[in-house]
Amino acid sequence: MKTELLRARSGRQRRRAATRGASGTPAGQRARQWIAGIAGQVVAFAALALAACTGLPGQPDPAARPIRPADVKDVNVLYAGNCAGCHGAEGKLGAARPLADGLYWHVVRDADVRDVVTRGIEGTEMPAFAMSEGGALTDTQIDLLVTGLRARWQGTPLANRGLPAWSVGSAPAGDLGATQRGAAVFAARCALCHGATGEGGLAPGSLVDPSYLALVSDQALRSAVIFGRTDLGMPDYRGGRGETPLTNGEISDVVAWLGSHRVASPRWPATPQRANPAREEKP
Amino acid sequence: MASNDDDTHVPGGATGTPGRLGRLGAWLDARLRFSEQIWPELAHHVPRSSASFWYVFGSATLLCFVLQLVTGICLSLVYSPSAAEAWASLEWLTYREPTGWFLRALHYWGSNFMVALMTIHVVQVFFFGAYKYPRELTWVVGCFLFLLTLAMAFTGQVMRFDQDAYWGLGIGAAIAGRFPFVGAIVVDLMLGGPIIAAETLSRFFTLHVFVVPALLLALVALHLWLVLKVGINEWPMPGRLVTRERYLEEYHQLVAEDGEPFVPDGVQKDLVFSGLVMVALVTCAAVLGPSGPNGEPDPTLINTLPRPDFWFLPLFAAFALLPAYMETALMLAAPPVLFLLAVALPFYSGTGEKSWKVRPGAWILVVTVFVTLGTLAWLGIRSPWSPQMDAWSATPTPVEMVRGRTPLQLQGALIVQSRQCRNCHALGGAGGQRGPALDDVATRLTRDQLIRQVIQGDGDMPAYGKNLLPAEVDALVAFLVTLHPANEPPARDAATLGPGVAGAAR
Ligand code: HEC
Repeated sequence: MKTELLRARSGRQRRRAATRGASGTPAGQRARQWIAGIAGQVVAFAALALAACTGLPGQPDPAARPIRPADVKDVNVLYAGNCAGCHGAEGKLGAARPLADGLYWHVVRDADVRDVVTRGIEGTEMPAFAMSEGGALTDTQIDLLVTGLRARWQGTPLANRGLPAWSVGSAPAGDLGATQRGAAVFAARCALCHGATGEGGLAPGSLVDPSYLALVSDQALRSAVIFGRTDLGMPDYRGGRGETPLTNGEISDVVAWLGSHRVASPRWPATPQRANPAREEKP
Repeated sequence: MASNDDDTHVPGGATGTPGRLGRLGAWLDARLRFSEQIWPELAHHVPRSSASFWYVFGSATLLCFVLQLVTGICLSLVYSPSAAEAWASLEWLTYREPTGWFLRALHYWGSNFMVALMTIHVVQVFFFGAYKYPRELTWVVGCFLFLLTLAMAFTGQVMRFDQDAYWGLGIGAAIAGRFPFVGAIVVDLMLGGPIIAAETLSRFFTLHVFVVPALLLALVALHLWLVLKVGINEWPMPGRLVTRERYLEEYHQLVAEDGEPFVPDGVQKDLVFSGLVMVALVTCAAVLGPSGPNGEPDPTLINTLPRPDFWFLPLFAAFALLPAYMETALMLAAPPVLFLLAVALPFYSGTGEKSWKVRPGAWILVVTVFVTLGTLAWLGIRSPWSPQMDAWSATPTPVEMVRGRTPLQLQGALIVQSRQCRNCHALGGAGGQRGPALDDVATRLTRDQLIRQVIQGDGDMPAYGKNLLPAEVDALVAFLVTLHPANEPPARDAATLGPGVAGAAR
């Protein structure tokens, strides 16, 4: 066929030769074969495309589709994304106070929690979360969080009688009477773990460290006394076995005593040679 | 109907008495003169040696291109190229339209395959010396096809108009904006304004659907025409040198002595390979699915980690990793210079040896290019592009770093969270990767050095001096010095040894 092709001269002759070649000779058979091949591919392609209707592994899962953060309604997702960093993955053993604490939810009201989440707590590390305050949560989401977390962690109802008040407002500064009473309460109820001076005992670290006290509000101290940190072994206001619960007044007094250790302007972290490392910048 | 007796001759068609279909074909052929004009063209002889599996990548790229046209047209039936609706229309296509996701997957993988096969094709052409005399123009056109294909890939990624697209656009605009004098104008043209806005998508849609494909079609036609007219490169043999004087003569002789018709013999391996490519493509689409759209493109949403499509990773990695003063020069000057060098290749290396076996320079070049690109891509995958913006609130302090800590240290742990240190620093394997993990930072830095690091910052670490109260620094450092393995003591505070030693330690 090749020689024939080469010899063919006029257009018509060449055409004839090509035509004959394509139909009768092995080349023609091959031509048919690959036409059939293409057809086969197209059919296979179409079949696969049809099979696509019926759950192939590549089909995107609608459940995994991205949701706008403001549309998230699942309380657990909201908690994990916004709160878990400080309050712990399971609501305890975080750097900040635990929220998986039934007593806590019995003492605080929804409005208090909503307010704290919305606006944050001035002077502490608790940031404001409401969009209106520069945070990332909508008001609906904050409501969902408050009710959802209460449902998740409040646990069985407690007798409401005798629960201490979560917040009593700030005690008048320099109330010497309160401070003295607070020292007595501390010596009787706290010193066993925190040391007679509050600078540490069985429980590590000082409660009267000026830097620490500069970073916590009286309310945070009050919460610490009321709710303890049961996740870390610190009992709540009811104390250990056989002890009587602290009264509202005692709680206020001991907070006043702790607060009396605050200093006007806490030092820069001290090192033996320099009080102010920032001065290093200008040798 | 024409009564020409040639009407019955259809190449590859039925012999003997033609059926109704055969007669229609014959009539068309009589009018179109296909068998007279095109068939001889297709059946032109090519060197038998080039009917090899090494020569199939060009046609496979072409197959991908055709597939992209088909799937692209289908997609454009549903896709709504407006900034407000694009994302939603893809959502709809992906999750509601029964086979919509598959169509998107085909188009996505088609683009990946096309870029990959095209790259292999270029390397093969380069190794086989096929760009040399007399195929210079084929090579030049091919270079522009390469560029246009990348342009399709880039504009296509923008079509998703999700956060990745935003990100890619942002970087692209940042690069364009650096051109001296014309930068702002280029950005303006590209985005339809100084920022990514509604018009941006319209522009990219026009590019992706009209402008670039039209150019591609025209150049593909030219490329193929040249392949047909100049002839397929013969299998290169070491010692068979290309000279402008003798090459054509030698080639024609080779084809005459040892040639075969391109259709049907020459293209057989192309068809087999194209079939395999198609199967691979459909499998990828069916198993791996489409890409995105990931989150809705809301510039206020920062808690995702956007990445460009794979092919642009090296470029973006270079962009992210180069020191700022080199960036501008490299970003602006390097690509055009490299491209011009590539286009001009047949004009400064147009004759001589073709075979890769005796061209060590070719090997060195290709290996260098791919090692560089590969390294950059790897860095692009590995490197922490941006801080992990939600780590501070979503990644708890590891429990063992909470237990047994003093009240002050716990306040420090709290500051590490609330001041978003975690967005850049991992603890217990979780958190951002922008800075080093802090799990055992106390073994590396003394208390003094920690204070200094936090207050003054360093490298990519912001200085916190003005934003932290003394008590906060105190608490923070009190926590950081506890971060060392139990069996490994913290770094010794040289300051306690005396002023002279403290100075020397720095
Ligand atoms: C924007 C990201 C970012 C944030 C936020 C950030 N850092 Fe860093 N940090 C870095 C980088 C990057 C380095 C490495 C600096 C260098 O190149 O020397 C670093 C280094 C450090 C080091 C030294 C680590 C070592 O092993 O040498 C410490 C300690 C540190 N950071 C603490 C902090 C603390 C505490 C905070 C929060 C108050 C913080 N960083 C916030 C990015 C960050």
